[in-house]
Amino acid sequence: MADIAVPVEITASVWKIEATPGQAVAAGDVLMILESMKMEIPVESPRAGTVKSILVAEGDQVNEGQVVLLLDA
Amino acid sequence: MVWQAELDELRQREALARQMGGADKVKRQHDGGRLTVRERVDALVDPGSFHETGTIAGKAQYDATGKLEEFTPSNCVFGRAAIDGRPVVVVGDDFTVRGGSADATIREKPLMAERLANEFQLPIIRIIEGSGGGGSVKTIETTGRANLPNGVGGGGMFNYSTLNMSVVPVVGLGLGSVAGLGAARLAASHYSVMTKSSAMFVAGPPVVSRLGKEVTKQELGGWEIQCRAGGVDHAVDTEEEAFACARRFLSYLPSSVHGLPPITPCTDDPERRDEALMAAVPRDRRRVYQMRPIIEKVVDEGSFFEMGRMFGRSVITGLARLNGQPVALMASDPFFYGGSWTADACQKVVRFVDLAETFHLPVVYLMDCPGFMIGLEAERAATIRHGVRAMAAVNQTTVPWCTIVIRNAFGVAGAVHQPAGRLSLRYAWLSARWGSLPLEGGIEAAYRAEIDAADDPAAKLAEIEERLNLLRSPFRTAETFWVEEIIDPRDTRRLLCDFAKLAEPLRRPQPSRLQMRP
Repeated sequence: MADIAVPVEITASVWKIEATPGQAVAAGDVLMILESMKMEIPVESPRAGTVKSILVAEGDQVNEGQVVLLLDA
Repeated sequence: MVWQAELDELRQREALARQMGGADKVKRQHDGGRLTVRERVDALVDPGSFHETGTIAGKAQYDATGKLEEFTPSNCVFGRAAIDGRPVVVVGDDFTVRGGSADATIREKPLMAERLANEFQLPIIRIIEGSGGGGSVKTIETTGRANLPNGVGGGGMFNYSTLNMSVVPVVGLGLGSVAGLGAARLAASHYSVMTKSSAMFVAGPPVVSRLGKEVTKQELGGWEIQCRAGGVDHAVDTEEEAFACARRFLSYLPSSVHGLPPITPCTDDPERRDEALMAAVPRDRRRVYQMRPIIEKVVDEGSFFEMGRMFGRSVITGLARLNGQPVALMASDPFFYGGSWTADACQKVVRFVDLAETFHLPVVYLMDCPGFMIGLEAERAATIRHGVRAMAAVNQTTVPWCTIVIRNAFGVAGAVHQPAGRLSLRYAWLSARWGSLPLEGGIEAAYRAEIDAADDPAAKLAEIEERLNLLRSPFRTAETFWVEEIIDPRDTRRLLCDFAKLAEPLRRPQPSRLQMRP
């Protein structure tokens, strides 16, 4: 088990967090949804694992490359 | 045999050259997981096709009797070869000799490679490792004087590095540590690839550390840095993959601007209708969708070759074929800023349409652009400056152009979907929507007085929004002929193949009016 950092690919605001700590996720599952240019942009899990911690809250501004979630995988 | 002795000496000198920097240096190259320059050339080109020029050029030492004692070959290996049966020029740095630096290059060798490409109108592939024939600090001691870059007699490489981009396809492969002139020659290409263990930078970690910043090669110029910054187009795991990328890139292009992109037999039905296209775009306007599967469904099967995926990511660029004919394909990626054009995306568009214009590739644009990127960060990046440069680049093209409006076309960036000064083909999907301005967020400003005067401002806002939304139907636009055609998405491939057929005789094998910049 190793910590996998999940970064976001764009600068945006966090609109909705879908994942909860402890939750098992598969690759491609939506972890959270960002809002940019009035569009909802999902952040997908890069691989299967367990959500270890969520580092942002709904409404937060996030920058391109920022790690928003840690996975145990 | 009258000249046997001389023939023996020639073969002996060639054999010495093939030893490169010697067994130790070759071993070190292999231990680092990298091929030697000669192995690279062999792996890149058609088997047995390499004809080297200047094999025995290098530095020799003679004993007192004038007998050859020691020989170090030049660290530039070049010649002509074939890729898929078509002639090309290959020039590579030999890192086993003085780390590829200029001390051992012989300036005229890489220069002649560039001239050969230019004057014989052949694609050139630069295999770059080290400083790419640039100087090392030691050079000042061997020459006894300081070099003025581009000083008297020294401008050839700087000239051809960029000039060739307006004459022949230029591919740069960064395989190892690439710095200085090597980095410049890698970046001054139509398509560049690096291996993921490689690094590229203007100056390496020892120089950067003098600025007080300690970084590793990878932290400074690794593939993620360079590909995200747009310094290099693509990164791969192995050198073999890099060679495959180079070969595939060239397969879409003519050998020079004096030829036309080669049309190949196509086994994919140009009339093929993919049912999935009817469901590709969600009805919910806030939801995004994957553009790449749409691309795959409309071009010839397996023909899409993406370039620069990690840079300016709201725009996807690549080469593809339509009924066998190469085209330059540009598409929006709504996953990145909803497909809006960032400053980076605009730079990507400029370089891409310049490539299309230079090599007579018809352009296809699958569009979903809600506008230029907005916000403080976007203003700081001078998005509008890069945006109007992209607009100019599109307007300056003369190659046939076809746009499919997949969803959004808003604002000035929405206008940059076809060259403004001439006729091109355009189709809108059923999901298309457009406007000078997006309604959301704009209504409050435009109808401020009316909303403020209402007893229930929120209800008034909703009422106005509903009223305006009714007017947003693309059919209302089509009934006044502000858009010429709305199509069933499943007809897209047929219409694009039809466009390619119409475009074929319009392609002109001649130099572009504007010389392409890197």
